[in-house]
Amino acid sequence: MKIVVAMRQIADLVEELEVDASGADIDREFVKFVSNEWDEAALEEALCLKEAHGGEVVVVGVDDVDFDQTLFGALAKGADRAVKLSCGFEGWMPTAVRAELLARWLKDESFDLVLTGVQAADDLDGQLAGVLGARLGLPHAAVVVGLEPDGDGFKVTQELGGGVTLTSHATGPLVLGIQAARQAPRYVPISRIRQAMSAGGIEELEVEAPTARAPKVTRLFAPEAKGRAEMLGDKPSEVAARIVELIRAKGISVS
Amino acid sequence: MLLAAVETRKIFGGTTHLERVLFYLLSLVVLVVFFAGLGLRVKKYMAGRPLDAGRFRRARVPLEKPGVSAPIPLAQTGVDIAANRTVSRRNHAVGGAHLLLFWGFLGLLAATIIVGLDYDVYGNLTRIFGGKELSFFKGWFYLGYNAVFDTAGLAAIVGAVWLAVRRIRDTKSSVALDYTRAQKPKSGYSRAAMTAGDHLFIFGLILILFTGILLQGLRIDAAGFPSFERWTWLGYTVAVGFGALGLHGSAAGSAHFWLWWVHILMALAFVAYLPFSKALHMISAPANLAVRDPGNTRRLPSPPSGHAGYQDFADFTSKELLGFDACTKCGRCHAVCPARTGGAPLSPRDLILDLRQYADRKRGIPMVLDWEERPDQSGPKNLEGRLAGEVIEPATLWSCTTCMACVEICPVGIEHVPTIVSLRRSLVDAGEMDPTLQSALENIATQGNSFGKSSRMRARWTKGLDVPIPDARKEEVEYLWFLGDFASFDERLQEISRTLARVLTANGISFGILYEDERNAGNDVRRAGEEGLFEMLVEKNMEAFSKAGFQKIFTTDPHSFNTLRNEYPAYGLDKPVMHYSELLASLISEGRVSLSGLGRKVTYHDPCYLGRYNRIFDAPRSVITSAGCELVEMPRNRTNSFCCGAGGGRIWMDDSVLAERPSANRIREAAELDVGYFVVACPKDYAMFSDAVKSTGNEDRMKVVDIVELFAEASGELALAGAASEEAPES
Ligand code: SF4
Ligand code: SF4
Repeated sequence: MKIVVAMRQIADLVEELEVDASGADIDREFVKFVSNEWDEAALEEALCLKEAHGGEVVVVGVDDVDFDQTLFGALAKGADRAVKLSCGFEGWMPTAVRAELLARWLKDESFDLVLTGVQAADDLDGQLAGVLGARLGLPHAAVVVGLEPDGDGFKVTQELGGGVTLTSHATGPLVLGIQAARQAPRYVPISRIRQAMSAGGIEELEVEAPTARAPKVTRLFAPEAKGRAEMLGDKPSEVAARIVELIRAKGISVS
Repeated sequence: MLLAAVETRKIFGGTTHLERVLFYLLSLVVLVVFFAGLGLRVKKYMAGRPLDAGRFRRARVPLEKPGVSAPIPLAQTGVDIAANRTVSRRNHAVGGAHLLLFWGFLGLLAATIIVGLDYDVYGNLTRIFGGKELSFFKGWFYLGYNAVFDTAGLAAIVGAVWLAVRRIRDTKSSVALDYTRAQKPKSGYSRAAMTAGDHLFIFGLILILFTGILLQGLRIDAAGFPSFERWTWLGYTVAVGFGALGLHGSAAGSAHFWLWWVHILMALAFVAYLPFSKALHMISAPANLAVRDPGNTRRLPSPPSGHAGYQDFADFTSKELLGFDACTKCGRCHAVCPARTGGAPLSPRDLILDLRQYADRKRGIPMVLDWEERPDQSGPKNLEGRLAGEVIEPATLWSCTTCMACVEICPVGIEHVPTIVSLRRSLVDAGEMDPTLQSALENIATQGNSFGKSSRMRARWTKGLDVPIPDARKEEVEYLWFLGDFASFDERLQEISRTLARVLTANGISFGILYEDERNAGNDVRRAGEEGLFEMLVEKNMEAFSKAGFQKIFTTDPHSFNTLRNEYPAYGLDKPVMHYSELLASLISEGRVSLSGLGRKVTYHDPCYLGRYNRIFDAPRSVITSAGCELVEMPRNRTNSFCCGAGGGRIWMDDSVLAERPSANRIREAAELDVGYFVVACPKDYAMFSDAVKSTGNEDRMKVVDIVELFAEASGELALAGAASEEAPES
């Protein structure tokens, strides 16, 4: 079984994000970039499948700040190949563009599964798996929480709303957006990452600039505050007094 | 004949030629067994990694302290062994008894060797080369010999009986002597053989000693009480006793004959038994003490080359293998271990015994009554399984707080902590760990702190200070203040950090910080077994140091203090490292501040990494007493301090499985003292004990305060800040 895992970098949400001078992107100068956590779940699922059933795991992604770190981490965890697609793109990459670049590369590859994170902080509507599947003309599914080889294809479990899960059978190749792997992403010791780094092993490919049409961001901004919440403090007596005061001032309407 | 009477006795008096031949044959067999046994052991040690592996990592520590970073000099070890100092520590009764047995036994060994030299060597040499068999075992030498070695015999008997009585009397009541395992194997286990072995050892020894004295009595009785034998005072007294019982002449002689064989057979059996039993510690314990280096715990050794952590027998160092053989099952480590006390599945004693059994089984070395029995092939019987994970359970390894209490008290100089960390490294390499530990390590790897906050937030706590703290990367300062994660990020501790900053500023200390360039120092990361991450943190911090201008470092966190002081020198740090308690104490001793009496009754908790690890006991105490507080010592204080449970990465792991958290145990101890304040000198302690005071319901009786809060309040310039400014309970 050959599994391709598509990974991407996102701004580390631990940092305070700021909007840059253009007003249409985050300030990328000082922010740190880390691997998308759902992609890590996809990688974990791929590694578990490989460990259980044999096969090969290939990690691929479009070059971005510190993307090498993510690729080396994946190699250290047990991925067999790591591929980096560079096209000199800068700034925020729309999902449609990412899908185009990945699809171009995938066209020439053989694989049974393409796994990617169901969403990312800059793709909360989780488009990547769907758009990629459509571009490749392959069946696709999102919010996948379970995946097992099943006869000639795979048994895919998806989470629906309201605590309902759905199981389907699909014959590959498939493109899946992974919500959760069968286990939490494993820890990879720094020494193994360093070993992977000194061994090199990232395949770097120059690819042509994307042509896909994507919406252009016109304005990026922090949510605007609509009214303020008032914190009532933590001394019960003061809180109570303030509540009484507020009720007196604003009145109570009993209906 | 009567006139020619010389003060001596006949060696082999009364035995026939055949019996002598039999004796020598038996002795030969016994010696072969003895040396074969020792040989097997020495070969086992040689199969381990060389002793000095990792010593290249040793770099001189600025401000080297004897007994901390410098190895223990051999001469001191000699004195320790001769005086049984490590045995008497915190247990003078057992130490005294052991000392009597130790020297008594050595005396009797010397006595046997002297007789052998006279009869077998000198006698034979003079007979062969001089034609006439000579002996020096006569006259004044004989008299002195008997007087001295009878005393040794008595000492040995008194010591041995004392130890035996104590073992029987205390087995039920003493935690140390209770052989119940801390980690309970699913299949069950039995340690009855070990108990039997203990009894065989001590009672066998007593029997040998007793029959030896009885023999003397019978011999003197049978010889008709020659008056010079009064020098053989113990034997003579026993002979008088036999006489009083009516045993005389030939009856005494034949009793002597039979008892002689009984005595000799037991003594020979003992020699053969020695290398395969608890008695081995007579050799392995002093040997291990001679090569011990508690510095290995303060400055952990690097992993074996090619392996991240210990994976099989060959990864143990010779020193570790020797140490396993030195363990006497005294249980002192078991008794002091905070993990074991709290109900965790770790006992340092059980760990060493398991590893010893594993190593012996691997090498095919049999043991007489010194193994634990199990119905299945689990634990130490699992010779094919993973060393870290199967032979030793992961939960056992993860339970250690690396508090060093076991290393401190072990009378034979075993260093448990480096072994535990080496085994943990294998678990980390396999990614086997608590999810909370995993996320802490991931946070440290990406953000440089365990809180998972952006590294740019590290100096946020300085907001709200009237006088900003100089940036050591931009201006030259005398002291670089290394805060550590808790003092930087934990809200409860940020106020204490600000108090310390205000105190130092008010006293004109030139100091600065690294702002966002400081990283977790890596002490606990290394002890959790993540060596690669530790090295990465060292590189990052060293890079930050190289960009800054300063002469000395002081830390808030004793854990950071330990690694900066003892481990960073190997990576090039050549600046002295101090703890803030030392800095505050020096302000007082130099007369730069005058503190006014607070008049409070307080107790103080020695942090493991400040006290046991780095021997800083007096500096925090001098701050406390100078602030006019009456210090009531904890029952377990200084080197015997009891861990708060946070060390070695435990602070990042789940401890809800414990029957009682070590911090709660410690607060219960303090609650007995009738003090209003529990003083700490470590940010992790502040966090751990503040929780424990609440969870044990002692909030109204006791308040946790940091030494700098006392200092600030007593110096009058600053009000006791933050939480501590609320009405404190009066003691
Ligand atoms: S270091 Fe402390 S916690 Fe660890 S085994 Fe020793 S006594 Fe127990
Ligand atoms: S390891 Fe040391 S302290 Fe622990 S039981 Fe053995 S000899 Fe005693």
